[in-house]
Amino acid sequence: MRTYAAYLAKRLMQFALVVFIGINLTYLISHSTPIDPVEQTISALTSFGNTSPEAIETMRQSLRELYGMSGTPLEQYLSFWSRIAVGDFGPSLSAFPTPVSELILRALPWTIGLLVVATVLAWLLGNLLGGLAGYYRKNRVLKALGLVAMGLHPMPYYVVAFVLLVLFGFLWPVLPISGGSGMAVEQGFSLAFVYSVFIHSLLPALSLVLVGMGGWFLGMRALVSNIVTEDYVVYAELGGVDRHRILTSYVMRNALVPQVTGLAMSLGAIFTGAIITEEVFGYPGIGSLLVDAVHAGDYSLVLGVTSVSIVAVSTAVLVIDLLYPLLDPRVQVE
Amino acid sequence: MPILRTIACAAVALLIGTSAYAPSAQAQDVVSSLPRKETLILENPEGTIKNPGWFNIWAINAGGQYTGLQQLAMDTLWYIDPEKGLDGPIDNSLAAEPPKYNADFTEMTVKLRPGIFWSDGVEFTADDVVYTVETQMKNTGMRWGPLLSLNVESAQATDPQTVVFKLKRPNSRFHALFTVRFNAIWIMPKHVFEKAPDPMRFDFNKPVSLGAYALHSFDPQGKWFIWQRRDDWQRTTLGRFGEPGPKYAVYMDAGPPDKRVIAQMNHNLDVVHDVAPEGMFTLAKQSKTSRGWFKDFPYAHPDPTLPALLFNHQRPEFQSRDVRWALALLIDIKAVSMASYRGAATISAIGIPPTGTHPDDYHIPMQDWLKSFELDTGKQKIKPYDPNVGKQIADMLRPSMKEQIPTDQASIDRSFGMGWWKPNPQAAQELLQKAGYTKRGSSWYTPDGKPFSIRVMVEGESRPVITRAGTMIAQQWRQFGIDAKTELAQGTMLDRRNAGDFDTLISWSVESYGGHPDLAYFLDSWHSDYVAAPGKMQAPRNYMRWASPELDGIIETIRGVSFDDPRSIELGREYVKLAVREMPIIPLMAYNVFVAMDDTYWTGYPTAEDPYANPVPNWGNSRYMMVRLKPSE
Repeated sequence: MRTYAAYLAKRLMQFALVVFIGINLTYLISHSTPIDPVEQTISALTSFGNTSPEAIETMRQSLRELYGMSGTPLEQYLSFWSRIAVGDFGPSLSAFPTPVSELILRALPWTIGLLVVATVLAWLLGNLLGGLAGYYRKNRVLKALGLVAMGLHPMPYYVVAFVLLVLFGFLWPVLPISGGSGMAVEQGFSLAFVYSVFIHSLLPALSLVLVGMGGWFLGMRALVSNIVTEDYVVYAELGGVDRHRILTSYVMRNALVPQVTGLAMSLGAIFTGAIITEEVFGYPGIGSLLVDAVHAGDYSLVLGVTSVSIVAVSTAVLVIDLLYPLLDPRVQVE
Repeated sequence: MPILRTIACAAVALLIGTSAYAPSAQAQDVVSSLPRKETLILENPEGTIKNPGWFNIWAINAGGQYTGLQQLAMDTLWYIDPEKGLDGPIDNSLAAEPPKYNADFTEMTVKLRPGIFWSDGVEFTADDVVYTVETQMKNTGMRWGPLLSLNVESAQATDPQTVVFKLKRPNSRFHALFTVRFNAIWIMPKHVFEKAPDPMRFDFNKPVSLGAYALHSFDPQGKWFIWQRRDDWQRTTLGRFGEPGPKYAVYMDAGPPDKRVIAQMNHNLDVVHDVAPEGMFTLAKQSKTSRGWFKDFPYAHPDPTLPALLFNHQRPEFQSRDVRWALALLIDIKAVSMASYRGAATISAIGIPPTGTHPDDYHIPMQDWLKSFELDTGKQKIKPYDPNVGKQIADMLRPSMKEQIPTDQASIDRSFGMGWWKPNPQAAQELLQKAGYTKRGSSWYTPDGKPFSIRVMVEGESRPVITRAGTMIAQQWRQFGIDAKTELAQGTMLDRRNAGDFDTLISWSVESYGGHPDLAYFLDSWHSDYVAAPGKMQAPRNYMRWASPELDGIIETIRGVSFDDPRSIELGREYVKLAVREMPIIPLMAYNVFVAMDDTYWTGYPTAEDPYANPVPNWGNSRYMMVRLKPSE
């Protein structure tokens, strides 16, 4: 137990260090972008009117004050850490003066809802079918599924998304092509809203599941194909153990260990959102927020989103690392 | 295998469930609870609004503006239309009459229209105008604060319908700040804002409207905004023109261009703000109810904005007008038109957009001067103008587009533009040699012996049409032996343009009123006093940093002439002649916006045949289309 406590302390320190370095790197990168949010705002404000240089200069100074960019770089950096330590990312620059945390909190439930369901569904289907395909290698249906998975997996995501969009949004327009919920459906815990969210999530979720499932399918099939040649599986078959039991208790269970790790990593990574999915389907999640923030040079928002993501991924890895020694006796904490 | 059977059954059940849902899917995608026949759906080109609950249009970045807010809820003293307007291009909106200046333009008096009310029933008065000015002058972090504080000494309400502005210095165009071209200083509701502790951090939700529509509801995720016609629409400035047709107007994020096309094909988007040329061609071909500004090719509405090739005049290579002219004579505008707009461009040889009333004020009257204009290459005198390029483009397109291409000369001039500069490589060579450039082998060298290298900066995929124009121009220069390449500045274009970090770029420094010949809107900012030193940020719009004493003289004369004085046209033509001689920018074409309008539910949109308003739905003056739209059935 003492060994595990030492391991826990070491991992927690590593976690804190990774988060600190990750956020600092993001801070450095976002602050060295050639896009200046003040100049972007000035350009937008003066795009449609005649403005004198004196007025521009006054505007520039006012914006630097408002955006908290008036101090030295060191002062700005220290101010950033003093705020972030209490979870305050400051105001968004492109949606001033709305706090970054408010924007993130508004977008996160959409992304989490969509990606958790799609990721888990793709994982379940991919692993289940991949496991079956690896075990029942002569089954024609599963062979065909393997071909589909091999075809879908390398396909660029946006192609699949666009094909679905044309199929179900235009040629057979049965599904909404944009947004997270329908207009005039009030957001809240009502049946109408839940139904609307479900219907709007079908196309983006389907595109994610189709592409994601292929990867899990192929991975699981390969793992199972290796495991079925192991001695203990051969002995079990020779011993007349029920094939269904061999598949579920001996083969799939062992093959799932690396797949669970992959699932945890995927779930941790959802905090940056499915950028392409959200862009293609106009889904109001964290991915769209991040893209908009990058385009606008809104580094407060970029920092907010990436910091949440860094913490989420690091936490997912930490949880896996902490759980493995407890769950799998083959893993030693030493 | 029971597991496979279970999965197959679940998939079939889902498919059946989805099919059962099919009839309502489209309705869900539009405005399910609103009567479609009473609802106009327009694209908001801002996309999804990150902070949709903010309607304080006077604060920086606080919410969206093209959500219907500036089009349907805001109002100000005057509007100017890029087209002919409902009752002439200039509409006295909240003002009862045009502005009155004193003799030296240091005082402007405005008479306001009586009987106008805010949507909460409070009467609009001069106090609102004064409050708008004073509040923003106190807060230079507000949108128009710096401009007002630099210009205004005081604003005073001498009675409920009169405001007197005392200016800090003579300004014959001060009223332009309160004149909507695209937008302007909108009037604030004093009775609402004076209760807010900080006007810069006040969300103004729910907005009190001065327009004919008031906010009905909005998507907390920022994808759509619904506005409802006010019951007392007669008590708004739009009421003079009749009852607005649509009871509801929805401004929505319609997604990327392909989805906008799909949405209009499905009749879920009545007005598309802009699609790529190919999208417009698809709609024109496949949707019987869709049309553009022009009924036929080139469909697009030409904005009063002039994409051009801008030289950086602070780079030594481009300081000679002979070099600038040589580069112009190496461009084949027909190829540029085909590459950028697939031929659907309205070209212009002069530094004025070929739109609105400008062809009548500038392009047509100047044809003779342009035809006789001579250029001395050092070895010969040439007349570089070809008056028939627009017709040549139309003729070039006719075999493939057939009856979609107009045949009468007036329509061709209006749609494709008139003339442009004839490609003349021989003259270009002579001009370059005159400027001290030399050709060795197949490459050109600058007077100091360096390879003549030009980077043409383009924005990239966010502005594909302009990017394709730049690519074609670079290619044409390269074929002549100049080391020309395009340079993508995706995302950083504005910063680099303002900082002067470019050789040449495709952008615009000319934006005019369109419906009015006065050029001060852009020309005043071309005064050499405003040219930033190299490395410093340039204020709009003289991004090419051209400094010309002769131009300064024209600008200073315009400043002393009133807005509606006919002399302003003469002065505008002086500018055109100077710009032709000096070629500070190479004018290309109007910024064509492919607005697609669907007749399924509404008719009476503004078009080239009936140009009563600007159809581009994020412009403030697009509000005028509301009173002419009628249900289709």
